[in-house]
Amino acid sequence: MADKRITIQATRYDPDKDERPRLQSYEIPFSDDSMVVLDALNYIKSEVDGSLSYRWSCRMGICGSCGMMVNGTPKLTCNAFLRDYWPRPVVVEPLNNFPVIRDLVIDMDDFMHKLKAIKPWIIRRQEIPLGAGEHRQTNEQIDDFRQFSQCINCMLCYAACPVYGLNNEFLGPAAIALARRYNLDSRDQGLKQRLPVIADNEGVWECSFVGECSVVCPKGVDPAKAIQQTKLDTTMRFVLPYGNRD
Amino acid sequence: MTTEAQAAPREYRWRMPANWWTRNRHYFLYVVREFTVVPIALWLLWLLVEIKRAGDGPARYSPHGSAAFVVFSVITLVFALYHSYTFLSLAGVIIHFKVLDRPLPSRLIVLAQFALWAVASVVVGFVLIWFAR
Repeated sequence: MADKRITIQATRYDPDKDERPRLQSYEIPFSDDSMVVLDALNYIKSEVDGSLSYRWSCRMGICGSCGMMVNGTPKLTCNAFLRDYWPRPVVVEPLNNFPVIRDLVIDMDDFMHKLKAIKPWIIRRQEIPLGAGEHRQTNEQIDDFRQFSQCINCMLCYAACPVYGLNNEFLGPAAIALARRYNLDSRDQGLKQRLPVIADNEGVWECSFVGECSVVCPKGVDPAKAIQQTKLDTTMRFVLPYGNRD
Repeated sequence: MTTEAQAAPREYRWRMPANWWTRNRHYFLYVVREFTVVPIALWLLWLLVEIKRAGDGPARYSPHGSAAFVVFSVITLVFALYHSYTFLSLAGVIIHFKVLDRPLPSRLIVLAQFALWAVASVVVGFVLIWFAR
């Protein structure tokens, strides 16, 4: 076991020197079956090549920082076990569909703007005074949106979405799933503020239901479901009498 | 803007490769699903032509029945069945009903869709055979 080794091929890109990203191979000890791809990157960073750049934080699938392409599939590297790839080499690349800043670090500005556009917070027409007590919800009301509230903004769904890859004006899976999360929340009254963004041409109607966003989601959010249900709901609002009510 | 203004850092712009749909089984099946509408649309256009010709009267009407057209029709039927299957399977994801404050299981919705499809097919088949007699 002590002699077991694994090859990691990581993307390197220095914007001051390189025209395009390239792969660099590192052979590292695979000392423990519980090692994940992020452990391998951390080993390279601390023991082999300190210049390797990548994002990470919690190491437990909560923060959504360490999303990368692992052998061509968007994964949280803290949740991608080396034992599932060994003895083949593991190719680690930055998330598809985003500009690359350096090595494995992508520019997430586009996603952050889209996230802000759908106003992912509870909107009230009139705030309830704190003294009035908590705003209670039943279990059934929470169940309506619970699945969509699990999103950790890891952007794996954007990396898996060919629609976003071909047209980055598309609002995208996570932003729409989060919009639905708040629209379904019984405490929220912001649907009319979000509709112009989510029901726009570049909103839900740009999606052609590839479904890969839901396949790669590490938290089981199912953004494809959120998008298709939003299509149905916005159509019903348009078609049904009194459908445009709040 | 001052001369001290810093240039934005140079980023590598990612481009979708032309063969993206061959890189993943799901992408491939998605493209097949989308492509199936092309032969279906062509076949329906031909149906419109046939209907127009039928309107000219029974004496001048002879339906197109070459072997090539029969083969094309069979392929179109397979594509139509595949497209319908994927559409109705996905309907369970899209449609969300609540009965007695509980969401209806998606499997039940899908089964209901397939049952309706079967009933509609029998009714349409019956009507066509009835009028063809």
